[in-house]
Amino acid sequence: MSIEGVLQEGFVTTTLDKVINWTRTGSLWPMTFGLACCAIEMIHAGCSRYDLDRFGIVFRPSPRQSDLMVVAGTLCNKMAPAMRKVYDQMPEPRWVVSMGSCANGGGYYHYSYSVVRGCDRIVPVDVYVPGCPPTAEALLYGLVQLQNKIKRTNTIAR
Amino acid sequence: MAEIRNYTLNFGPQHPAAHGVLRLVLELDGEVVVRADPHVGLLHRATEKLAETRTWVQSVPYMDRLDYMSMMCNEHAYCMAIERLLDLEVPLRAQYIRVMFDEITRILNHLLNIGTHGLDIGAMTMVLYTFREREDLMDVYEAVSGTRMHAAYYRPGGVYRDLPDFMPKYTENKFKNAAAVKKLNESREGSLLDFIEDFTNRFPRYVDEYETLLTDNRIWKQRTVGIGVVTPERALALGFTGPMLRGSGIEWDLRKKQPYEVYDRIEFDVPVGVEGDCYDRYLCRIEELRQSNRIVKQCIEWLRKNPGPVITDNHKVAPPSREEMKANMEELIHHFKLFTEGFHVPPGEVYAAVEHPKGEFGVYAISDGANKPYRVKLRTAGYAHLSALDEMGKGHMIADIVALIGTMDIVFGEVDR
Amino acid sequence: MSTRLERLSDTLRNVLGARIDKLVVDRGEVSIEVAAVNVIETARLLRDNDELHFEQLMDTCGVDYRDYGDGIWRGPRFAAVSQLLSVSKNWRVRLRVFAPDDGFPVVPTLTQIWPSANWFEREAFDLFGIMFSGHPDLRRILTDYGFVGHPFRKDFPISGYVEMRYDPDQGRVIYQPVTIEPRENTPRIIREENFGNVGNG
Repeated sequence: MSIEGVLQEGFVTTTLDKVINWTRTGSLWPMTFGLACCAIEMIHAGCSRYDLDRFGIVFRPSPRQSDLMVVAGTLCNKMAPAMRKVYDQMPEPRWVVSMGSCANGGGYYHYSYSVVRGCDRIVPVDVYVPGCPPTAEALLYGLVQLQNKIKRTNTIAR
Repeated sequence: MAEIRNYTLNFGPQHPAAHGVLRLVLELDGEVVVRADPHVGLLHRATEKLAETRTWVQSVPYMDRLDYMSMMCNEHAYCMAIERLLDLEVPLRAQYIRVMFDEITRILNHLLNIGTHGLDIGAMTMVLYTFREREDLMDVYEAVSGTRMHAAYYRPGGVYRDLPDFMPKYTENKFKNAAAVKKLNESREGSLLDFIEDFTNRFPRYVDEYETLLTDNRIWKQRTVGIGVVTPERALALGFTGPMLRGSGIEWDLRKKQPYEVYDRIEFDVPVGVEGDCYDRYLCRIEELRQSNRIVKQCIEWLRKNPGPVITDNHKVAPPSREEMKANMEELIHHFKLFTEGFHVPPGEVYAAVEHPKGEFGVYAISDGANKPYRVKLRTAGYAHLSALDEMGKGHMIADIVALIGTMDIVFGEVDR
Repeated sequence: MSTRLERLSDTLRNVLGARIDKLVVDRGEVSIEVAAVNVIETARLLRDNDELHFEQLMDTCGVDYRDYGDGIWRGPRFAAVSQLLSVSKNWRVRLRVFAPDDGFPVVPTLTQIWPSANWFEREAFDLFGIMFSGHPDLRRILTDYGFVGHPFRKDFPISGYVEMRYDPDQGRVIYQPVTIEPRENTPRIIREENFGNVGNG
């Protein structure tokens, strides 16, 4: 929604799609799926200095209440079924941010026998954030990119 | 009357209080834990096997990613193992830098531990306070190594480079005007050492803040006093180290007892608990924060007065400087050999241990004379601590299990490796 | 050799006597080798003897010596190596036990001497397939549920045999044969004696 929608009479006209997307981007609730090192940077992004709350991003500990999963860290074979289960429990619409090179493609542990070489083998991923670990700013940027992506989707007008 | 049977509860692996990916199978009698069976390995990345496929120096960054709360201490043990195998002398300045960063790392680790432990058992604000200070120390990491967490700053033979003369600064933007930015940059005008010194001056006040929030807090005490009591005898038998052992009243600190680097030249005290419960261990950690601060101060003082080399001049192990490399044929060959093949470590085996913030972190390295390790075994403190969860948790309520996980300071990178 | 190490190795020789197969002092550390049949007895002496007093077992790990020195190794393939620490005497010793049989490596457990050995032995069993006779709970610990093989053995490829992906048809996560090519950045080389010797550098 933009300011040109405000008319002289003091009301706004917009499309329903825009309203829906505006509400979705304004309250992205990610699930705390911290797996490894990147989880620390994820907490940093959520804490004092970077403060994700001002983007309406509030960490939820339960998949049922969240609409975004930040896969932060190395995904191992033993963990993969649990992660898929958590993803299946999340309500639609849902998004996945793959954070860090381990989640993107195995990264430093690519050749290990026990690591899933990219969490996109298990769940569909919307935004990849590179880095090992990505800084908190990088994660923030990735989340803003995700918000932009959500703004572009059409729910009603196809 | 129908027979009442125990039931089994699955805790994790996705649980906010599990500190990562712990899966616990709890057998409960009502709300009382009868048996706790931790299932670990959900973050098993085979670091030790991967280290066998890389040259000695290529594995240094793997050590960062083990215990990702105390990155440089892990590197320290690994570099010490290599240095002992090579019989290599580390320059004194590098030793001081290492000690300083070990203690900065200890502060980082304990801040996170106290913050998240508080968060787990009801003190939400703690994590916001402790992470404020962690950000400052992360900036120190970034200034010295270029990355906020996984520094790879320690190298066999010393540290990668000398301390920088400047700190990165905030810049003006549309949200912060010049005056606000100037205030933020106040402590960043000088060199890195100035910044750390400024931090050490501020830090004791911060620790007082934490203590105001927690130490006499009624809820905090209810959740931690008398929880997870370990007697000194059991603590030894169960292989506890670090604050877990000291909390039980055993005065054991590798920095004092088997000094490495320059810890024997530095003054500090080792806090020891009395009761061996979660609260004593918390008090130990708080005091360790203050002591670490003291050590960092002493290191700054020494480092200011004594410039010098920070990495060994043996170019079979450490790369020569760029200038030398470009000017001198022999150095060029050294450089080439070092980066294509790596250095060769004479056959033998060592066990190098450091006093890691969580306890004893040991690296058992076996070399057969190749440019890669034959076997590296990483002894991590968290692994031994977590194995005692069954014994510590027996008879406690299910909510106390969370307090126990917090007090053990579990990090899955090091437990599962 | 410092006097401390001399004292430790003398004490070890006096107390343990013929139970020690080999005692090596190298790089400031003492390591002893004990035959599998004598382990329990030796461990008990190490812990309870007033002059030794090793109260703590720091670590137990498996070692697979198959490829040591690119084939110069003669002797049993698997060993369980323990690091012991005495808090009261402030010294360390390394205890190595070779499993007599390569095909089915068995060594006695140390859990009744040092309870901390429990998980370390489970790990060695999981990763190397070393059986610890008498262990109360010898399950796999680090590898996936239903994992086949012992990954840290030298004949196990680093990338393993299987990898994981989600199968939309079955609606669950499945294992499939590994799809990536192995890659070696730097070959493993053992140079002749004194090559790159730091002391002569």
